[in-house]
Amino acid sequence: MTPPKNDPPFEPPEPSRTPSGRLPKTRLSTDTQSIASSTSTLPYRNTNASVSSLFASTSTPTGSRSSSPSGTSRKISSSVFGGTPGEGNRLTPSDRAEDPRNLILHSFVAHIAVHTSIDTKELVKDKGFDGGLWELLRPFGERIQGRVTIRDSVGAGKTWDDFAVRFVQLGDGLEPPGAVLGSRRNREEKVLPGNANKTIPDSLAAQRSRTGGDISHIENLVDRHLTHAEQYPTMDGEDYLNFKDVKPGNADTTSPFYTLYLRRLLSGLPLVPHETFSHPVACIIAISSRNTSPIETLRKLYDESSHGDKRLPLWVNNDYLRYYVLVHDEERDDITKSMALFEQMKRHFGLHCHLLRLRSSQCIASDDDSVQIPRPEWLAAPEEISEIHRRESQEDIEDSYPCLYESDTTAIKTFIREMVTQSVVPSMERNVATWNDQIASRRRGMAGRLLKISKWTGFGSSSRSSSSNGMGGSNNNYDALQGFYRPDAPEALMRKLADYAFMLRDWKLAQSTYDLLRSDFNNDKAWKYHAAANEMAAISTLLIPQAINSKTRAETVDQMLETASYSYITRCGSSYGALRALALGMELLRLRGGSATDDAARWGIRLLDQKLVGVVGDALIKERISACYASKVGSGSGKWGARIRKSALWRVLAADAWLTLGKPQQAKLCLDDADAKYGELAWKDGLQSWENAGAFLAGLRNEVPVLPDEIEEENSTLSPQLEFE
Amino acid sequence: MSYYFAIIGTQDNPLFEYEFGTAKQGGDGIARFPEQARHMNQFIVHSSLDIVEEVQWGHGQMYLKCIDRFYNNYVSCWMTGGNVKFLLLHAPSQPASSTTTRASTSIAANPTSPQTEEAIKQFFTEVYENWVKTIMNPFYQVNMPVRSPVFRSRVAAAGKKYL
Repeated sequence: MTPPKNDPPFEPPEPSRTPSGRLPKTRLSTDTQSIASSTSTLPYRNTNASVSSLFASTSTPTGSRSSSPSGTSRKISSSVFGGTPGEGNRLTPSDRAEDPRNLILHSFVAHIAVHTSIDTKELVKDKGFDGGLWELLRPFGERIQGRVTIRDSVGAGKTWDDFAVRFVQLGDGLEPPGAVLGSRRNREEKVLPGNANKTIPDSLAAQRSRTGGDISHIENLVDRHLTHAEQYPTMDGEDYLNFKDVKPGNADTTSPFYTLYLRRLLSGLPLVPHETFSHPVACIIAISSRNTSPIETLRKLYDESSHGDKRLPLWVNNDYLRYYVLVHDEERDDITKSMALFEQMKRHFGLHCHLLRLRSSQCIASDDDSVQIPRPEWLAAPEEISEIHRRESQEDIEDSYPCLYESDTTAIKTFIREMVTQSVVPSMERNVATWNDQIASRRRGMAGRLLKISKWTGFGSSSRSSSSNGMGGSNNNYDALQGFYRPDAPEALMRKLADYAFMLRDWKLAQSTYDLLRSDFNNDKAWKYHAAANEMAAISTLLIPQAINSKTRAETVDQMLETASYSYITRCGSSYGALRALALGMELLRLRGGSATDDAARWGIRLLDQKLVGVVGDALIKERISACYASKVGSGSGKWGARIRKSALWRVLAADAWLTLGKPQQAKLCLDDADAKYGELAWKDGLQSWENAGAFLAGLRNEVPVLPDEIEEENSTLSPQLEFE
Repeated sequence: MSYYFAIIGTQDNPLFEYEFGTAKQGGDGIARFPEQARHMNQFIVHSSLDIVEEVQWGHGQMYLKCIDRFYNNYVSCWMTGGNVKFLLLHAPSQPASSTTTRASTSIAANPTSPQTEEAIKQFFTEVYENWVKTIMNPFYQVNMPVRSPVFRSRVAAAGKKYL
């Protein structure tokens, strides 16, 4: 809790920020220190249509921007203004894309590795996808056609419209060992991907760029989007004006940049021992009809994936599903031959097979039945940056995103749907059931408790007595030297069980399993595991659509987040993990409304306090804290219990941060919002009567640009009732 | 430890502001706020009114104790009978670690300890007495800023005495 020493008491100081007494003077432009201007690797080049389409995620307003906050409720729990505590804490179903629950649902999804033969790669390359089959499949995995029914641990089926899987190349997400710690601990030491390209081969660089988990890259990327937004303020301004004037009280709509930030934070989850989300749930092994010795190739590919050079590290459970695909070339090969081969495959490998029929020629946009393939939304930050670079250096004006024939898209969609509903999900369900039966329930039952007690009280070399090394001990499965559990250890399997349950959206099971694991990992002093289990326990607790009163929340969620952030930061030096835990915790708490919003804001402040984010994140989080406070709805005509002043204050702070970054458009949005909030108060000019604060606010106002039509507006409408309503 | 004391009227307007530092343990009684605190203190205190308005209905006391926190700034509140609020923002100058041995029980190091609470209460009580006497002035009207030098000196004395 104690903030670090020697801080100016108000803001966690950003690196090299000049302490400028903000009085009504215009800020010098040299004061701005946006990342883009400081890194020479990001020169600003000419922008063409194909580049600006890359910024579509932040520059076009999503329709949902105007919708009201879904999670806020009318009641305040544990406050004098509230009804019964906890009553208002029920969650409403989420339907917006940027709803944090949706983000979480779509980020922690099953990863399916793709491993193909060379001939398949060539076939797909002919179609214009250099990356191979996974690149072709990836955009379609983000939204699986139709509904997917998942049975949870008690056997009740639940249908989801928006199930997703992620296709990765086998081995994606593996950071080069040794760089892991350094890159996260110290941003300065990180080699920028541009420089790294020279020393490592291209394919490896591309693969590395698909690994997320580095805050500085996310910051770079969001800054890039911001710069773009600043460059085209008219378009942006209009969008904001159109979508902003809903109601001033509704101001906690998510900024597209924050959504992007969160999304990139959750994309490209690195392949690490302490969480298994990015471990493959299944592996597609694909050959094409061009192959001359198909069955042998399939065997070879299988061997490569299980003990060959493509074998994932030791801590990855190698028992995942293999799915065999025969890619048939419609234009060059004979379908009867392929069918015969496919029959043979079915005999050999059982049910997990598919015949994917694709046309091998490249489709161009002018073709009759061409469909532009959807742009993948879950790119990792470095990948998107390099994409932007690539587009900028290209000269062609039009948006040249690859197209596919309609028949191909249908074939791919059908294939993915069939694979997911008939093979992947059932096998995950089966695994969950087995592990739950054999490992988790044993631990939950009486015997498990006894086992735990005997572990605690210290028979032999328990974890308590062997304090320092934590190595010995027959019942200690944690390999402290290498820092992982073997994949067949009960703890590792339980973690996998919990993650599977989470991916299958069975949060109750996930939560209870994470909860068991928390204490296990703590006893074993497996700190990274401990932090991750706490993080996911908190998140899954908050995802369960069930009211939690503030007392329970303080005992469970707060405790878990606290432990997670402490473990991540202090014991593991992983600011990425801590940022993820706290940001998600904050978002989910905010959705609960009532007193949980105060907690949410508190976690946000903690994020700033710990200096987990860079300058861009800092401003975004400040905006977010404001939104957290704004989600608390007051009761009665006086809005008692609301946090309007707090929310406005954080908007002002965010505006200040944006101005320091040289993003006046963003600052202006924040200031407008703050003004609207102050206007909501019973005493509208309450703040103005404070001399210095009022002057500071006026000073900020002077620095943001004013749109020409607004000046007219101000001149024409001086009547007070139109001011902010 | 630096203090910023503000009396806030019923319309969120400041009636009286005073900055001072601790006089205990060799403090010289001078506030050591950084430059940006000149406006930030006002913002913080103003935003704490949100919490005051919620907490004030919770129990019948005039002294609401420490109600809010903004980074390293703590805000204590005293409600007067006339819906005028006394807010005291206290910012420990250094986190306790550097002066652990001596400052462990001192008011300055523990902004939320019972001793601090008690000291602030005494401070508020004394200021309140003086406040009532001051606003009895026949020329004083509600929500008028208080400029009386006598009152200011009495607040300063109370601060010196207790904080």
